[in-house]
Amino acid sequence: MTTVEVKNLRKSYNDFLALDGVSLTAESGQLVTLLGPSGCGKSTTLRCLAGFHEPNGGDILVDGESILNVPSNRRKFGVVFQNYALFPHMTVAENIGYGLRLQKCSKSEIETRVFDVMKLVRLTGLEDRLPREISGGQQQRVALARALVLKPRLLLLDEPLANLDARLRDEVRWLIRDLQQQSGITAFYVTHDQSEAMAMSDMVAVMKAGRVAQFATPREIYQKPTERYVADFTGEANFLTANSVKPIGEGRYAVHVAGADIEVDGVPGLPDSAAAELLLRPESLSLVTTGEAATFEGEVIKCAFLGASLHCEIALPEGGRLKLTAPPNHAVSVGDRVGVAIDLSHVWLMPEVAP
Amino acid sequence: MMRSKKLTWALALPALALIFIFMILPITNMVEMSFRTPGSSEPFGDDYTFMHYTRILGDGYYWGVLWRSLSTAGIVTLLCLIVSYPIAWHLSRAKGFKAVFLYACIASPLMTGVLVRNFGWMIVAALNGPLNESLMALGIIERPLRLLFTQSLVILALVHVFVPFMVLPINNALRNIPQSLTEASASMGASRYQVFRDIILPLSFPGIQPGVILVYVLAVAAYVTPALLGGQMVSYMPTLIIGELTGTFQWPFGSALAIVLSVSTVLIVVLFTRLTWKLNERARA
Repeated sequence: MTTVEVKNLRKSYNDFLALDGVSLTAESGQLVTLLGPSGCGKSTTLRCLAGFHEPNGGDILVDGESILNVPSNRRKFGVVFQNYALFPHMTVAENIGYGLRLQKCSKSEIETRVFDVMKLVRLTGLEDRLPREISGGQQQRVALARALVLKPRLLLLDEPLANLDARLRDEVRWLIRDLQQQSGITAFYVTHDQSEAMAMSDMVAVMKAGRVAQFATPREIYQKPTERYVADFTGEANFLTANSVKPIGEGRYAVHVAGADIEVDGVPGLPDSAAAELLLRPESLSLVTTGEAATFEGEVIKCAFLGASLHCEIALPEGGRLKLTAPPNHAVSVGDRVGVAIDLSHVWLMPEVAP
Repeated sequence: MMRSKKLTWALALPALALIFIFMILPITNMVEMSFRTPGSSEPFGDDYTFMHYTRILGDGYYWGVLWRSLSTAGIVTLLCLIVSYPIAWHLSRAKGFKAVFLYACIASPLMTGVLVRNFGWMIVAALNGPLNESLMALGIIERPLRLLFTQSLVILALVHVFVPFMVLPINNALRNIPQSLTEASASMGASRYQVFRDIILPLSFPGIQPGVILVYVLAVAAYVTPALLGGQMVSYMPTLIIGELTGTFQWPFGSALAIVLSVSTVLIVVLFTRLTWKLNERARA
């Protein structure tokens, strides 16, 4: 199987620095997601891996060997494009079998392998259709089948779900993950959708302006982000300024936040009285009556009933606002004074910008 | 719904009128003329006859001229395609100022009047003209070649002026091929040649087809170039037709020749379109 090591990759177009030292690794069989807003360099990284771009610096090692001098048609990587890039003049079966035809496989072998992979992605019966005669979801699966049939060393997916509607997206997402895990192919997956990244990946690289802001498991980037940017990008988040930060152990700090003194976990290595912020995810907060186990007290300024839950926004007297989700039948309305309890094991102290 | 249909007709009316006045009427007139008897003191007589068609089709000379016209146009079209494809490729990759500059260069043959351009060729191809002198200076030939009044020069001059008609539609088709298709085929293991053969060439066909038809039709109908550069020794259909119409004033016979040429050209274009229909239909995304 295949391991990949991206080392300090740099790429610039004219004056624009697209990649400013990207480093990543993928263990054999892992699905690594590159997550970030448009222009952060995630697609450029993928295109360097595919061999469509030549980086200006750094290296890409596949199974320990540099592939920078290998042209894209010898890399044996499967690529799935955002617009699918199906050949419009070839039928579905011809599209899928194209790579096998190039390898001079026998006609019967091409037929069996195309048939098998079409069954795998549930396209049986569409062999003789042209790409323009099938739906977007089917086109997407043809693109996937076309990459998988060649048994690639590495699978590269560039926002493969971006052009699908929400319901299909969910279906194809699981199909991709299932096939990737079944075949044990190492894969890189580019997306700007954090829920997609969280649900599918073994590892996520959150990218920011041509750099990797954090490279970790989905759980870690959500619960233990290294900076505010990562926390913001991976889901709903509240931030409160933390004062008089005092290290009291490895990655453990005593802080003064919005009038309360608490002990929290955080990014290791923050110095005494560092400028830091406390991350509180909405689900780690709960509404309580004032006085009782309340850490903070504040006034409800927004309240929305969403069916399965109640979304509230609470203004704290010291400044700062907290968004939280409460059970749907909780009796609370705008203007109420309420207490907020926090699950201390789910809050996280981090610097505003990683050093 | 009725109203919108009426509106459609009303909007199409100017175009239909134009086609009627400048195409249907003259062609009908010419077909009618081709069946007239020859006149003695007038360009045409009062009665109708098939004699002009039997004369043309029964005489090997006219078959020969027809063949020369159609085959020369075929060679011009083929050479045009070969020359134009790489140019169209470069043009389709060019951006900004470079693209504008290339467009201007490609259109430049059309910016010269037809007479000026052909007289230019006469000077260039003369016995002691620049073309012969350069070839001799390069040591490729020892004595000047007789280039003027040859079929080769006619072909060369026609290819020169028709290149833009081939380049532009092919350029358009090439621009419509997304880069991701080339990348996808490369990622599946295709070499540059295989990418070209399997992806680029078939997908550029919707540009090749109109280019070929346009250039072929124009080349068949070209008059000034064969008349000036082809010399008196060989005839092409257009020079023959103009000779009958304005030289000997045989309007019925000239019309019949023109109809024969038109019908042959249309047949060839239809045949070409039918043969390449499947190729084109698939590539039309």
